[in-house]
Amino acid sequence: MIKPEQTNLTLGFIPLTDSAPLVAAKEMGFFNQWGLNVTLQKQNSWATLRDKLHVGILDAAQMLAPMPLASTLGIGCAKTHIITPLVLSLNGNAITLSQQLHVEILNENSLSHVTLPLAAYLLKNVIQTRKLQGRPKIKFATVFPYSCHFYQLRDWLSSADIKLTDVDIGVVPPVNMVSMLENGDMDGFCVGGPWNAQAVRAGLGITAVTSFDVWQDSPEKVLGLREAWYTSNPNTVLALTAALQQACIWLESTPNRFEIACLMSVSKYLNAPVEVIAPSLIGSCLTDKSMPPREIPSYNQFYKSQSDLINSPEHIRGEWLLSKMQSAGQLDNIDIPHGIVKQIFRPEIYEEMRVKTSETE
Amino acid sequence: MSQHKSSINGPQSSFQELRILLIDDNKQRAESLTIALEDSRYKVSHLASTNSGLLKQVEQIQPDIIVIDIESPSRDILESLNTISQYNPKPVVMFAEEQDTQAINLSIESGVSAYVVGDIQMSRVKPILDAACARFREFQKLKNELTETRHELANRTLVDQAKRLLMKKKNLSENEAYKAMRKTAMDTGQKLEDVAKTLISLLNTF
Repeated sequence: MIKPEQTNLTLGFIPLTDSAPLVAAKEMGFFNQWGLNVTLQKQNSWATLRDKLHVGILDAAQMLAPMPLASTLGIGCAKTHIITPLVLSLNGNAITLSQQLHVEILNENSLSHVTLPLAAYLLKNVIQTRKLQGRPKIKFATVFPYSCHFYQLRDWLSSADIKLTDVDIGVVPPVNMVSMLENGDMDGFCVGGPWNAQAVRAGLGITAVTSFDVWQDSPEKVLGLREAWYTSNPNTVLALTAALQQACIWLESTPNRFEIACLMSVSKYLNAPVEVIAPSLIGSCLTDKSMPPREIPSYNQFYKSQSDLINSPEHIRGEWLLSKMQSAGQLDNIDIPHGIVKQIFRPEIYEEMRVKTSETE
Repeated sequence: MSQHKSSINGPQSSFQELRILLIDDNKQRAESLTIALEDSRYKVSHLASTNSGLLKQVEQIQPDIIVIDIESPSRDILESLNTISQYNPKPVVMFAEEQDTQAINLSIESGVSAYVVGDIQMSRVKPILDAACARFREFQKLKNELTETRHELANRTLVDQAKRLLMKKKNLSENEAYKAMRKTAMDTGQKLEDVAKTLISLLNTF
């Protein structure tokens, strides 16, 4: 049995569909089973979640997978060594375009309908026409500078050789995404659930591509915590990792996915109706009011019974994210210490948890 | 405005008007702050964080300083201003709960552009804003110096590398190699480091 040093913990999360493992661990009693008394604290921005984690107001947090790298390198914040012992989820994001942009795509390409996933090159004529008519560039929103969302959006546009200077990309808090699409302040966004489904249900947008179409099975959210906190509470970290792994496994079954959608819809979590939370959790990507949903089985992936590696924070995943930050120009003028990924992505902690938990069984 | 520009660092700098963009859903707090700063050099524009046009406002107002509630979702927009949007960084002052203030103040020691006012004593606000601006300027100066130093170092390495290659491949003395490079730079109107770059790629190819 793992004996945690610190038993009362505060975990930060952002209300999103892929907070499911944290909510499941709390509501299904997995934290308690591992001797932990966890308070989940909802945060309104990634920046504040990060700052609170850095100074210890939060003991651990659900983070965007590139955030531990940004924290440890001190990009956009004070340098703080953050590690991750567990990948919480894969995939889960999508790019949704406004109905107006949808119509422009159809008109400019003389199409009666689009095929999904939408090929980014269909934007090229729109970009060209807008330029000729002296209209503003297509405006995209994403959630944070150091997010897979931002890199996926960049990669999707680059796949059609669209220059990033030909569009505008800004950051908008997820809660404001749908209203900005409605006001015409944005033409499209790359965000996680439930916001894509919400835009589609409201008839405001078409979900053109999921992140699974852009990057297959790459880590989306990770458990982030301070290295210093790990050093003084190694068993707490093992227990926390074990409880969350158990939640990820629990989330493998479809009935449990329905249950978590209901649990998350309440105000202390997502404060959103089940009909926008549930679809992605059961592998259904709502696309457009007038089109059938797409079947994307791993739209939200928390565990895979055939593969032990999905929750393990393998170094190669960190290297991949680092390379994405590099190509986005975020590492210019930054010293990258040798072996930095190994100091942050910690599969050996995950492995220790696996060994200790199988002993318990 | 422009007649004040020249005196930024001069004795009259305290009279220079500074535009504050305040992002806060707490109307009462926003009002008290505006009143507290009425007769100061700070001019406050208030915006609720639910307002979707934050970026537009920032462009329009061109604030010198941003004050935001730490719990506002708009914090992530600010975060992106100088990374994604290549916007000139601004000092940011944050309102936070009293119990969080002390811990977060620690993070400020390390030079982030975030300065926290505890649960609002408006009389204390002005000096905090003054300090935030001063500190931010200092931090930016250091950062710029660091970037310059790095740049200079990288250039020096390039020039050295090109020089060594020239010496080896063309059998020149160190002085001759350097002179040859300097002459090329002067003749072609290029920077020495650009000449070095071209030389390195040429000499490594042939």
